[in-house]
Amino acid sequence: MGKRPPLVVLSSSSDDDGGGGRCTASRGPSTRRTRTPATAPPAKQAPSSSRKKPRRGSSGGRGRRRASGIALSGSLKDEFDMLTEDFSECLNDLGVSGSMRQTEELWIDKYKPLSSGELAVHKKKVEDVKNWLEEKLKAPKGTFGGRSLVLTGQAGVGKSATVKAIAAEIGADLCEWTTPVPTLWAELVHANSELEYVSKLEEFENFVNKIRKYSLLSPTSIGSQRKLIIILIDDIPVTSGKASFARLGKCLTGLIQSTQIPTVISLTHHHKNEANDTATWNTEELESLLQGAGAHKIVFNPVTVSSIKKILLRICKQESSGTTEELVHQIATSCGGDIRHAIMSLQYYCLNPRRLDSALAISASLSELKGHATLAPAQDCYGLGSVIHSPCGRDETLTLFHALGKFLHNKRETHGDVNIDLDSFSFKEQLRRNPLKMDVPEMILSQAHGEVRTVADFLHENVVDFIDDDAVDDAWVVMSYLSEADCLLAGSPIASARWTVNESNESENMSQLIAASVAARGVLFGNAHPSPSRWHTIRSPKVWQIERTFRSTKGLILKERFDPSSTSGSRNFSVVVTDFRPFERWISPHNDMTRNNPSRHDVAGGPNSIDMLDAEGNNSEEEEEDEIEEW
Amino acid sequence: MLWVDKHRPKTLDKVIVHEQVAQNLKKFVAEQDCPHLLFYGPPGSGKKTLIMALIKQMFGAGVEKVKMENKTWKIDTGTRTFDLELAMLSSSHHVEMNPSDAGFQDRYVVQEVIKEMAKSRPIDAKGKRAFKVLVLNEVDKLSREAQHSLRRTMEKYSASCRLILCCNSSSKVTEAVRSRCLNVRVNAPTEDQIVQVLEFIGKKENLQLPFGFAARIAAQSNRNLRRAILFFETCKVQQYPFSANQVAPPLDWEQYVSEIATEILSEQSPKRLYSVRQKFYELLVNCIPPESILKKLLTELMKKLDSDLKHEVCHWAAHYEHKMRLGSKAIFHLEAFVAKFMSIYKEFLCAAFG
Repeated sequence: MGKRPPLVVLSSSSDDDGGGGRCTASRGPSTRRTRTPATAPPAKQAPSSSRKKPRRGSSGGRGRRRASGIALSGSLKDEFDMLTEDFSECLNDLGVSGSMRQTEELWIDKYKPLSSGELAVHKKKVEDVKNWLEEKLKAPKGTFGGRSLVLTGQAGVGKSATVKAIAAEIGADLCEWTTPVPTLWAELVHANSELEYVSKLEEFENFVNKIRKYSLLSPTSIGSQRKLIIILIDDIPVTSGKASFARLGKCLTGLIQSTQIPTVISLTHHHKNEANDTATWNTEELESLLQGAGAHKIVFNPVTVSSIKKILLRICKQESSGTTEELVHQIATSCGGDIRHAIMSLQYYCLNPRRLDSALAISASLSELKGHATLAPAQDCYGLGSVIHSPCGRDETLTLFHALGKFLHNKRETHGDVNIDLDSFSFKEQLRRNPLKMDVPEMILSQAHGEVRTVADFLHENVVDFIDDDAVDDAWVVMSYLSEADCLLAGSPIASARWTVNESNESENMSQLIAASVAARGVLFGNAHPSPSRWHTIRSPKVWQIERTFRSTKGLILKERFDPSSTSGSRNFSVVVTDFRPFERWISPHNDMTRNNPSRHDVAGGPNSIDMLDAEGNNSEEEEEDEIEEW
Repeated sequence: MLWVDKHRPKTLDKVIVHEQVAQNLKKFVAEQDCPHLLFYGPPGSGKKTLIMALIKQMFGAGVEKVKMENKTWKIDTGTRTFDLELAMLSSSHHVEMNPSDAGFQDRYVVQEVIKEMAKSRPIDAKGKRAFKVLVLNEVDKLSREAQHSLRRTMEKYSASCRLILCCNSSSKVTEAVRSRCLNVRVNAPTEDQIVQVLEFIGKKENLQLPFGFAARIAAQSNRNLRRAILFFETCKVQQYPFSANQVAPPLDWEQYVSEIATEILSEQSPKRLYSVRQKFYELLVNCIPPESILKKLLTELMKKLDSDLKHEVCHWAAHYEHKMRLGSKAIFHLEAFVAKFMSIYKEFLCAAFG
C-alpha cells in the first residue's frame, strides 16, 4: 500500500455521505446538513481515501471496519469458546446476532452528539469553546498566532465530541490529522525498498508543515464565500525520550505561533497513576509548553453523574431497552466521568439482560462486603463519593505512594463509636478502631499495583514517623504485624519463586496477598494514635541499600576467607565476621597485605564506617527521587 | 599465623579440651572407616579442630595439601540450567565447603557435589579407603529443601563418601539427617579448660603470665576458646610483659550492641526506635549475623533488667529469633523485638515510678 496523503479534508457532510444510507434512520434528521452542498464534491472526488481516513469523523467508515471485525471474530470464535460461557454468550450477542443491523452499530457512534445541546459536557465549557471558535473564525486574516486552543481532560469526557458538534453547528469544516497506518517492521523487512519507514512523529511533522505552508488548501478558491475551517489535532504522536519530545514540542509551538486557522489540540489527561511511564508521555510538560507558546487552554472536567445519567436514560428510551434506573445509576457512578465508557457499558449490559441481574447482584454484595470490612455498617457508598467497583465500572488505579500515604496517615472517622455498637459483636475497648476513611486496604493494594515486598519495605521504613511519640505500644503492634508479613513473604521467597516456576504459583500468590493484607492492615490497626498529621516525606526503604552493601561486603569477606595458613580449613562466615575480623584490628597479621585493604571498613566504631554510611545516605536520597519517578 | 591456627592440635592425641571425644574418635582411625558424623556445639568449642584432626589421622599428611578452588557447578533443574559458583577446599581425600553460602540455591550444591564425588571415587591400590570425606560447614544454615536433598543423597552415595557435618545447633538440622549421623556433641570448654589452654600456649610462646591473667581472659571470652586465644594474642600485641590487671579490649561490634542497649533503656519512643534501626543497619552492613546481634542485645539488656521482666523479655527474644529464621529480612524482627521491649519496659517504669 502506498503512502497516503497525510492531510484529509473531512467535511461535516461527508459524515452523512458515508453513513447516511444506513444511519439516518436512527438519527434525527438534520436539515442543516444538506445546506452545505459545496463541500460534497471534494469528498466525492476521493471517496476511497476519505473513507479510510476519518477516524471518528465518519460513522460509515467505522461501520465498515466493524463489519470486517465481525468476520474476523467469527474465525476467532472457536478460540473464544474456551473462555467462560458468559463471555462467549456475550460474544454471540455482539457478533452473530449482529445480523440485525440495528444493534450492530456501537452506540457511541449511533448517539454521537450532533448539536451542542446534546453534549454531556457542562454548558459553560461548551459555551467557552464555542465562543472561542467563533471569535477566532471571525478574526481578520493575516494575524499570526493566538489561534490555538488546548483542550485537556480525562479520556472520554467529550473533548473531541464538543469540537465536532460545535463545528457542525457553526458550519465549519474540520480538518483532522489522522494517524496513518504504521508500516510494520516485518513489512519493511520483507517488502521492497519502496516502503520507507516513517515514524509517526515524522508524519505528524509533515502534516503540521503542510498546514503551515499551504494554509490549508486556500479555501477561497472553492467559492467566493469564505470557508470556515478548524484544525483538530486529536492524536499527538507518542514520543519517547527527550530528543523526540523536543522535536514534537518544536513542531507544535511552531504550529501554534504561526497558524492562521483556529487549531484545537486535544490532550488526554492520563490519570496520574498511569503516569508510570512518565518519561515517554509527559502530558503536563507538553501542556505547559503549548500554553507557553500562546495557546488558550480549556480544561474539561469529568462528566457529572447526573448528566451521564440523563444521556444514558435518553439512549435507553430510544433503544427501548428495559434497563432499570438502578443499573443506569450504577454505570453512571462507576464510570468515573467517562461518558464514552458509560455508553459502552450500557450497550454491553443491554445485550444480554441476564447479565444485568448478575451485575447488580455482584455489586450489591460488594458494597455489603465493604460495609462489613470497614466496620461501618450500611455506609452510604454514593454519598462518600467513593467509586463502587461494580463489574461495569472503570478500574481506578492509585500510585504506590498514594496508597502508602493512605495507610500511613491512617485517616479515620472521628465519630464512629456509636456505629460500632450496632455491629453484631463488640470488641474490647483497646481493639476498637474507628472506621477507615478509605476503601478496603486490599482494594487499595490491588489498585496500587505495587509488589508486596516493596509495599512492606516502604511501610516499615516510614511508619515510625507516623506514630505518636508516646505510643511505643503501637509501634510494637505495627512492627509485629510487619514481622509477620515478612515471614509470610519469606514463606514464598520471591527469589526462589523465580527459579521454580512450575511449582505451586497459586499458593505463593496467595501468601503474597495475605502478607500484603497483614502488612497494610497491621499498620492501620496498630497505629491507634497517629501523630498529628503534618508533612512527611516518604523515604525509600534503606533496607534495600543496606542489603546491597551487605551483599558486596559479604562477597569481599568470602573471598578472603580461605586463608591458606589456616589449619582449620575454611572458617565459618559468621565466625569470621564476629571473631576474626574485629581482632584483626589489633593483631596486625604478618603474612598478608590484602587484609589491610582500604576498601574494608571496620565495624561500627571506626570513623571510616560512619563516613561511608553518610556518603551512602546521600546516595539514597538521590535514589529516592529516581525511584519515585520510576514507580 | 594467628595463634588460633598455630597452636591448634593436629592430632587427636594432642587435644587438651575434649579428650573424651577425641578418644572415641580415635577408634574410627583404627577402623579406617567412620559413619556419617554430625558435630554440633557452640562456636569456639573445637568442632573443626576435632574434625581436621580426625581426617588427618585417618588419611595422613595428604590431607594437609589442600587447594582452594572456586568451582562452577552446572546445575540442571529440568526447566532451566544455570551456573553456580562456590568456593571449596579440597585435597585428594576430602572436600570442604559451606553450602549455605549459595543461599537459596544450596540444595543444588549439596546434590551436585555429592554426585560428582561419587563419580570420581578414589580407589586405593589395596582397594581400601575407597571413600572421600565431605565436610559441610554450617549445616544448620541450610534451607529445609537442601537438608531434605542431603538426606536422600546421603543414603544413595553412602558407599563412596562420608559426610562430616558441622553446625552450632542441632535443633536446626532435620531429624532425618540427624538420625543418619553419629551425633558428636562438643561442649563449650569450661573456664578452667580455657585457662589450661592459655597456659599451654603461654608456655609454647615463652610468655610470663601474671597470676589471674589467664582466668580473666577466660571469663571475658564467655567460654569461647577461639575468642579466648584471640584475646590472649591481642593482649600480647598490645602490651608485653603483661601488667597485672590488663584486660583485652572488647569486640567493637559487641560494644556497639551494648551502646544500643543503653540507648533503648534510656528512652522508649518511636523516634528512638528509628535511631536504633539505623544502628542495626550499621551492624548488618558489616555482616554481623542478626542472630548474634539479638543474642548479644538480650544479654546486655538482661544485665540491667529487673528480674520480674526477665522472663517475658526472654520469651519475646526467642519469639523474634524464631521469626527471624522464618522471615527473610532480619531488621523487621530485630526492630519488632526492640519495640516490644520498649513497650514492656515503659510499662514497667510507669508502674514503678508513676
